[in-house]
Amino acid sequence: MAVIRDKMPAFQLFQPASTGEALGVLDQYGADAWVLAGGLDSWDWFKDRVKKPAAVVDLGGIESLRSIRSFGGTVEIGAMATLREVVRNPDVSSQFSLLVEATELAASPQIRNQGTIGGNIGQDTRCWYYRDGWSCYRAGGNICYADTPTAMNREHAILGASRCVAVNPSDTAPALVALDAEMVVENSGGQRVIPAQDFFIGPAIDIMRMTVLQPGDILTSIRIPSTWAGQRFYFEKSRDRAVWDFPLANVASAARITNGVIEDIRIVANGVAPYPVRFTAAEDAVRGEAVSDETAERAGEIAIRGVRPLAHNGYKVALLRNLVKRSVRGAEA
Amino acid sequence: MEIFQWDTNPWGQETLIRISWDLLYLFFWAGIAFIVFHVLYAAVWLPRLAREAANGGGGEAAAGIPEKIERHTLAARLFHWVMAAAMLALLVTGFFPIIGIQFAWVTIHWIAGVVLTISIIYHVIHASFYLDFWSIWLLPADLAEAAQRVKRQLGGSGGGVQRHAKYPLDHKLYHTAVMLAGLAVIGTGLVMMFRIENPLVTSNAYLLAEETWGLMYALHGLGAVLFVMLTLTHIYFAVRPDKFWLTKSMIFGSVDREQYLAHHDPSRWVVSEKPAASQEPAKN
Amino acid sequence: MVFAKLLLSPMPHARVRRMDASAALAMPGVEGILTADDIPETEAPNEASLTNEPHYEGEPILAIAAIDEETAAAAVEAVDIEFEPLPFVLDPMESLRPGGPNARSQGNTMAGRDLSTIKWDSVNWNEYDRGTMPLGGEVTDEWEVGDVEAGFAEADLVLDETVFSASLSHQPLETRTSMAYWQNGKCYMHASTQSTARTEGGTARALGIDPTDLVLIAEYCGGGFGSKIAGCPQDQISGLLSRKVGKPVMLRVTRQEENFFGKARPGIQARAKFGFRSDGRVVALDLMMVQDGGPYGRSGDYMSCADQASLMYQPEHMRVRGLTIYTNTPPRAAQRAPGGVQAVAMFAPIVDNAAKQLGIDRLEIIRVNAPEGQAVFGRPRQGVQGNVSSAFVKEAVDKARDEFDWAGMQARSKQRNGTKVTGIGVALSSYSAGASGVDGLLVIRPDGKVEIHNGAGNLGTESFSDTSRAAMEALDTPWEQAEIVWGDTSKHLPWSAVQAGSMTTHAHTRSNWAAGLQAKQFLQEIAAAQLGGSPGDFTVSNGRVYRSGSPSQGLSFGRAAELAIRAGGKFDGHELPEDINEMTTRAATGLAGRGLVSAAKDNFETGGRNMSYAIGFAEVEVDIETGAVQLKDYKVASDAGTILHPQNFGAQLHGGGIQGFGVALGQKWVMDPQWGLHVAKRFYSNRPPTILDVPTEREMAWTAADLPDPFNPVGCKGIGEAPVGAGAGAVLNAIADALGDDVHFNRSPIMRDMILTKLNPEVPEAHNLLTTHV
Repeated sequence: MAVIRDKMPAFQLFQPASTGEALGVLDQYGADAWVLAGGLDSWDWFKDRVKKPAAVVDLGGIESLRSIRSFGGTVEIGAMATLREVVRNPDVSSQFSLLVEATELAASPQIRNQGTIGGNIGQDTRCWYYRDGWSCYRAGGNICYADTPTAMNREHAILGASRCVAVNPSDTAPALVALDAEMVVENSGGQRVIPAQDFFIGPAIDIMRMTVLQPGDILTSIRIPSTWAGQRFYFEKSRDRAVWDFPLANVASAARITNGVIEDIRIVANGVAPYPVRFTAAEDAVRGEAVSDETAERAGEIAIRGVRPLAHNGYKVALLRNLVKRSVRGAEA
Repeated sequence: MEIFQWDTNPWGQETLIRISWDLLYLFFWAGIAFIVFHVLYAAVWLPRLAREAANGGGGEAAAGIPEKIERHTLAARLFHWVMAAAMLALLVTGFFPIIGIQFAWVTIHWIAGVVLTISIIYHVIHASFYLDFWSIWLLPADLAEAAQRVKRQLGGSGGGVQRHAKYPLDHKLYHTAVMLAGLAVIGTGLVMMFRIENPLVTSNAYLLAEETWGLMYALHGLGAVLFVMLTLTHIYFAVRPDKFWLTKSMIFGSVDREQYLAHHDPSRWVVSEKPAASQEPAKN
Repeated sequence: MVFAKLLLSPMPHARVRRMDASAALAMPGVEGILTADDIPETEAPNEASLTNEPHYEGEPILAIAAIDEETAAAAVEAVDIEFEPLPFVLDPMESLRPGGPNARSQGNTMAGRDLSTIKWDSVNWNEYDRGTMPLGGEVTDEWEVGDVEAGFAEADLVLDETVFSASLSHQPLETRTSMAYWQNGKCYMHASTQSTARTEGGTARALGIDPTDLVLIAEYCGGGFGSKIAGCPQDQISGLLSRKVGKPVMLRVTRQEENFFGKARPGIQARAKFGFRSDGRVVALDLMMVQDGGPYGRSGDYMSCADQASLMYQPEHMRVRGLTIYTNTPPRAAQRAPGGVQAVAMFAPIVDNAAKQLGIDRLEIIRVNAPEGQAVFGRPRQGVQGNVSSAFVKEAVDKARDEFDWAGMQARSKQRNGTKVTGIGVALSSYSAGASGVDGLLVIRPDGKVEIHNGAGNLGTESFSDTSRAAMEALDTPWEQAEIVWGDTSKHLPWSAVQAGSMTTHAHTRSNWAAGLQAKQFLQEIAAAQLGGSPGDFTVSNGRVYRSGSPSQGLSFGRAAELAIRAGGKFDGHELPEDINEMTTRAATGLAGRGLVSAAKDNFETGGRNMSYAIGFAEVEVDIETGAVQLKDYKVASDAGTILHPQNFGAQLHGGGIQGFGVALGQKWVMDPQWGLHVAKRFYSNRPPTILDVPTEREMAWTAADLPDPFNPVGCKGIGEAPVGAGAGAVLNAIADALGDDVHFNRSPIMRDMILTKLNPEVPEAHNLLTTHV
């Protein structure tokens, strides 16, 4: 069939006013339904006619999904809060500036006005083969076009790949994993709360999904516990262009530092693997150590153990090592 | 129902990528159907045949036949169980994700595949040089015998039907099926190692032409779904009380003299005087 | 109106084996189809609007019109079509390799007028595999001045480098959308074109009609950068499909389609050998260039690349060898300073490097080599090199040195702030700045207005308007009295320059000056006839013609126009000069009797080729741990004659510079070599620069020599082209400067992977210096 791009085909649009109503539609259509948040990922797929859902459920009309609330130190961000709303929220910015930094570096100002935090977390990979409709593993085929001897894989994974070498491109996801956030997911069977770290899955487990979300599920909110509130944060995104560019790699860390000693730390990177990677070995190695160049250096070296660079992304190993190093060293150094 | 799954390549050309997983369900239910059929068949027919058999054969002297007769050497049994474990691991890792039970399966799958391959290579060498190589193969005589048995089952004369040699016809048929399916999955599986990350080969998704890859995946799938059926029926027979003496022999290595005489023709499976516990491989 | 959608080639090179559109045409709302069989045949190697043998991914095969785009798209999907894949090649060097594929069935290059095949059998391909451009292969173009070997013998420093400049798409934000309808045998075409007058003929030919039967409306163009100089081949589709279905047809070209057939700058793989004297003067230059020619046409970037090198570095001894090789990649076209940008991107870093090696100031090495006065340069004709009309590069350099505080900038070079290192870069860029010999046309109407007609086009630079000022200046009359007519061929447009190659400003100040002077003369003659005396006794000023010294004895323009109409003949357009273009004659004839009509050809002396110059100054910060490059400041100095419109002038300098940042920092193609298909098709993956890539801490500054070109009546030259190379070269040099005197990339764009690979020896090279489309 001839390929047409940039022309969205028709679909049935549902604009429910409540989560319950949305879940009803999702149940009715099952795998043929598509949950639409800000649309920055979805419209691309639709316009390119690569994904053609029968029913699109737009969550934009569900007011309750947009609110950002605080209770008992926990901040709960509605999945439909726009990235701009997250950045501007005083509770988020005062307690969890890590998330603010990450969010501000996502996409472009225009996209942040429209894009939602839930959409940013749940977005699909930007592997250019997959996005362009090549029928790869992730699309149900039997090949990874980005991992062939001649493939163009400058922007692909150095860690965590399994057949598919696409990366998770979210900037907010590693920040949320670092903050030990929880994802609240609802379906018609009820609600479940999933630690951010477990929310993302790699191709080893399911090559066609980036998160645990199944047909019928809606990510309704993100809860950030007070655990890391106000601690020392570090976020850095590496990209080719100053704006509107997905990360070649990014890093988020949250550290509890007392008298210059790292009491506890969480280090997470994205853009290097199919899911936000937490570097627990590096964390263990620096826990109890003084913040220093040597400590940071060691964390960086440990983080890149086991990398498997592809033909065009060897630079990401050096990049990841240095980003992890900087995330331990902190911004001041 | 689809037999094959087709997809379009980056140039928009239609290309075979694998069998349709409809076949998984087909072969699964075919295995179940066989079992159900066999349960009924065994309940209705076997008692009658058993009566006839009791009347007919088994009159030879037990002289010279030891109490325990080695049917499977330790080496052969080890092979069987290693292979069985690998095969089960392969089936579980291969098919559970397809039916919706998701986990990181690829590494276990290819390691199990390598184990299976090594075990099969061992088996081929072992069977070729240390076992009665031909005892498991379908031979022209088996066909004549099969015809007689069918005749008898259909109510014809039972006369002249021999008891089995070491391996009865159904075992031989099963072995042949397993061999063919096994060759398919192993041969293709080894090539498919080039499409996954592993320490044994450097992956190269373009090692073969696209159509050849499609064929590889389809053959692998076909062999695998055939194994679903074969494994189901195999396990079924293994746990059937009337076959349990055989299952035991695969665990402990030997059969009792009574079973030997009841089911086997001593002229066709000549048992030596040697004790069953002997470490030396049995020749005939 | 109905809407068309295109069926595009899914393969880099293929033949349509079978096509059945019956199911598509049977769909409700589908109006008709246009295939390659419906259009006049195009002679190889030119590009057709539709083809049965596509030579690149995304080449249009057929178009279907339907009541809306949704239906048309569904109908295209319903076409049963089968392609037979043919051999393809993406990298010209792979086509030159013995046994390598050819992009076209008939060959891989043009030798003279014919397609032919060139393979480099005798060169050392091992050298190429290690990333060095091999020498000794057959070429199709060659020239030499002086004695290049003798030149190198004189040199104190010889740098022999392999260099690479990537292909990149034009990416105008307005895609090449068109809409056409037919009325009484006339085609009305609304199209996206850079030039109006110069599009009429080609589009009429494409539609098989006389230019007088075409009304082309193109008042505004949202960018072209050379990809829409004289319209687009795809305009034919809406025109012919409209005629076929008998309804207006709109073909809205999508961003993805624009990526495919919106044209691109040819990449160049080259070997450049520079010989420098110890004072930095380039004494010898030897160039060997292979150009990625795309599948169609004959792009001459590599030759103009050599010309610019010759102009910027003024080597006494120079040899150029090169050829263009067809590839199955998007069609190439001139892109803002075609060849010039590649020249700066490839060679400015070599010159910069030489300055460092020779211990010379990096601005000084530019100055010492810069052209002066009517400098000679370029490919010799009959053994003689041509010359420029003017060059005030040294004056611009001197101005910039002070205004931009070059010493201060230099002091910041290599300053370290944590992991960030400052780099300073400077680069000279030159390019063509004007055409001549086109026509001016104006009408002084009985209402006293001066109606100035211009067929140049309007790319947003508004130069059609700025250049009209020359006519008003010739008439010494306030600008408020002018009315400008442009952008619609039914409104009587004269033969004009293409709005490309920075031609318009120079060409149309000249042509409007000519029309203005002639109008002035007519006014004087009319006044003399009416008021007595000789024409020379009369002054034209302030909307009047009057007896010199006594302003009360005269005529208003309105009154003079009435008298011109009464006089007829040459005064009101009924008699026209013989030397004007046929198109101008037609336009002026259409205006005849409407006032005082002045149609005149620019016959002024040219003084040589009109060239302008830009010198970019960039300050970057490179983070050596992440390879991040932040552009902190960018300034540009120029020589483009007298500044016609300061705001537009500055916008061209900086806009071009930003485009150059893209060349230096990230804009590129990525293609999968196995399938010959693009993988970076979106703005977020092919990364043209954005406004947030522009330095924000300090406003970008500019300055200009502002010295008049002696061969332009108002002293001005164009300034569209040269700034791109200045931006690219300055940034490339700044990055190299930050990373140390021994770091050279010899390749653009420089992205983070390249920087990190250079800085971390353990990171393996992903590709060699000459690899294309990665």
